[in-house]
Amino acid sequence: MKVVGIDHLARVEGNGGIHATIDGKVVSDVKFTINEGPRLIEKLVLGRTPEEDASMSPRICAICTCSHKNAVLRALENAMDITISRKAYLLREIMHMGEFVESHSLHTFYLALPDFLGFPNAIAMASEYGFEVKIALEMKHYGNHIMKVTNGRFIHGENAVVGGFGKWPTQEELLFIKERALQFMPFVFKTVDLFCGIDYPGVPVAETQYMCCEPGDDKYGFWGDEILISTGEKYFRDDYTKVTNEFVVPHSFAKHSLYNGNAYTVGPLARIVNLGERLQGETGKMFQKYYNDSWKTNPFYHNPSRALEIMFAFERIPELVDEFLKLEDEAPRKEYTPKDGKGTGLVEAPRGLLIHHHEVTDGKVSFADIITPTAQNAADIERYGHIAAQALLDQGKGDEDIRRHLDIVVRAYDPCISCSAHMAKIRNAPENDWQLRLAEVKDQGSPVFIGIGNPSLGDDAAGIEMARAMKQQGVENVWLESEIEENDGLGTEDNGQPFILLDAVDLQETPGKVTLLPMQIVLQNSALSHKILPIVSEVLNPRQMQNAYLLGIQAGSLVEGEGISPSVLQAMERVLRQLSN
Amino acid sequence: MSDNNKLKIGIYELTGCAGDALLILDCEMELLDIFNAVDIQSFLMAKSDNIDGDLDVALVEGSVSTEREIEELKDIRKRSSIVVAFGLCATVGGIQARFSEEEWTQNLKEVYGDTEMTHTKAVHSKPIDAYINVDFYLPGCPVGKDQFLNFFTRVVQGAPPESYPVPVCVTCKYNENDCLLNKGIPCLGPLTADGCGSVCPNHDVPCYGCWGPAEGANLTSEYHLLQEKGFDIEAIKKRMSNYSGSKFQEFFEQFKNKESK
Repeated sequence: MKVVGIDHLARVEGNGGIHATIDGKVVSDVKFTINEGPRLIEKLVLGRTPEEDASMSPRICAICTCSHKNAVLRALENAMDITISRKAYLLREIMHMGEFVESHSLHTFYLALPDFLGFPNAIAMASEYGFEVKIALEMKHYGNHIMKVTNGRFIHGENAVVGGFGKWPTQEELLFIKERALQFMPFVFKTVDLFCGIDYPGVPVAETQYMCCEPGDDKYGFWGDEILISTGEKYFRDDYTKVTNEFVVPHSFAKHSLYNGNAYTVGPLARIVNLGERLQGETGKMFQKYYNDSWKTNPFYHNPSRALEIMFAFERIPELVDEFLKLEDEAPRKEYTPKDGKGTGLVEAPRGLLIHHHEVTDGKVSFADIITPTAQNAADIERYGHIAAQALLDQGKGDEDIRRHLDIVVRAYDPCISCSAHMAKIRNAPENDWQLRLAEVKDQGSPVFIGIGNPSLGDDAAGIEMARAMKQQGVENVWLESEIEENDGLGTEDNGQPFILLDAVDLQETPGKVTLLPMQIVLQNSALSHKILPIVSEVLNPRQMQNAYLLGIQAGSLVEGEGISPSVLQAMERVLRQLSN
Repeated sequence: MSDNNKLKIGIYELTGCAGDALLILDCEMELLDIFNAVDIQSFLMAKSDNIDGDLDVALVEGSVSTEREIEELKDIRKRSSIVVAFGLCATVGGIQARFSEEEWTQNLKEVYGDTEMTHTKAVHSKPIDAYINVDFYLPGCPVGKDQFLNFFTRVVQGAPPESYPVPVCVTCKYNENDCLLNKGIPCLGPLTADGCGSVCPNHDVPCYGCWGPAEGANLTSEYHLLQEKGFDIEAIKKRMSNYSGSKFQEFFEQFKNKESK
């Protein structure tokens, strides 16, 4: 077994790596690691005033600073029932557009394009693509200029405050921003043609779920009060934990977010997939010209999505400036007295859905929860990385090719590792976690159980023995590994019921610890998948696989000819009691 | 020096928001000149072909927050003639260095549970001079663009960087802003190191102290002045501690009542 990978990913924000574990012909595991230390920002803001919180929280990330600023302000203003003026709302949107122009132009031209044109960096690319490099730098500069005019500085500006802004920019400054937007349009067209015309690598290809803010009014946009999922569901902002429910995976110490038990993607591609049909004007025409179904299954299409969003921002900025300037002058900030409350702010950062939840008690921040896009993408980055690595290995590609490809797969997400470092927190699952999850699974229908393992190998008999006991109790739809034949669907009608595999597992836990894991996670874990994969792949169809789980008991002793150890026997009793409820 | 007689420079990011490294990329109009003037050997955010060899100047951003970063930092020191603490996190440890060791341990446990990281162990965040000798300090959250370009051109010419010994208040007066303190708004301008050009007071927003404590400020005198103006000294100290990192204890030593010395 060997590990192929990159310790320090280049041309990304912050310090992270990715590693694939290759076991003969199988890529058994892919890990996206974060090398930065924890900063505990959600703790640092506690006991601080809302203004200090709004200053400190955006320090999570330099490149998404305006997104964090808009998210924390939306959360605090929701918490304290403050409604900002229309003028302030528009100026915040202009500021947000500035960040998109800056971040997207930096990523597309400087971080991503060298990969597709075969250069180690953008400066080296300048020898052949001097014009693109130069104008793209000007575009990035323009994005920064917008942030400076609206927020005071391009990184960690403080002009946007709770209740509105410190000062309005002048009419001249805003008109200059509008004029420049119009001047850039020819290069913006070129940008879209360039990135939509690249022949992106064909692996990885896989379906996923896409998630973004619902901007409302059938519009494209970068914030909203609901979360929209490609499956059609919508959740109100305060229900965000239902969507991003955090999941501790045994193979990684980065917390992952899963929706409906599956990984999901946020970011430019998610927005284009979910909202692209709503695009108007030139961006709408470009979307119709270039978008097709293959975008939905390949993360490299984050790149043309970014190009479309650059165009969207350039079309939107003049409209925003015009509307702002038409409105009557008024005080830039609303005065307020802090009041108690809880609030959530949802925005789209350039790299995806960003959620801030802040609570105020007695004028001070009493709780903060921040969920960043890269933390949400982590599970899909690993999944797509895994699929890509396996596909290349199957094609007979060597380590260096796999390493290089993993590098560009990760980069496609424009990961912001500075952000995710602060999200890589582990909430230890409670002792009865499996019982809670089991109850959720049983709500989906009466499960089919399959007991697996080696009956004569000590604790490995646990799965078989539990299944036997259930049969004796007269539970329906219980099977032993030895009873199942290929592809017979276990003789049960396929009515969407869940499948639960009972087995002894080795997750390096205390013997007798019970775990319930979705099959998608099981199959990505080398310690589990080698045993489970041959069984499930023969018996379950892909749809059933989506709804299959492993109920595992940590084995203590695996000695041929010995009985089950006492701690595992106790655990089996607990499981059986729970299953018969 | 590299073969073509250019200074060999390395830009490194430890734990932080990556804003100081990004600030270099934000010098869009000067970027090609910067890359031409020196030989940038390592800059993860900007390039893939990085080399970790001997350097003339290393710019280190971020606080030291993992065991792996301690090793990395010591290695950078060994390879570099000049090491610069680049930005607030490297200079004072950043906002994450405010907690005491005890508070930090407690909070880490609350956030991460008992699970240990597989790849490296987290340590209490500290500025880089807690582990190595630092030649120059360039504070700021992030470092100001003018401040960086000024520093860069001097260092390339072999001259030491300019220091910014005055507090934000001085620049704010040059900028002819109305004093926020006179309006009863708790502004940290008199206590905070300059380098930002008093950007917040320029926008009618009080200074949050994000360049860290000013070296040249007469803190005892400021203490009395703020007290006379009726400000809540405890609230000011709390506010000041947000961006003073591990240096805030030192700061509090000076920022107090004369009689209590």
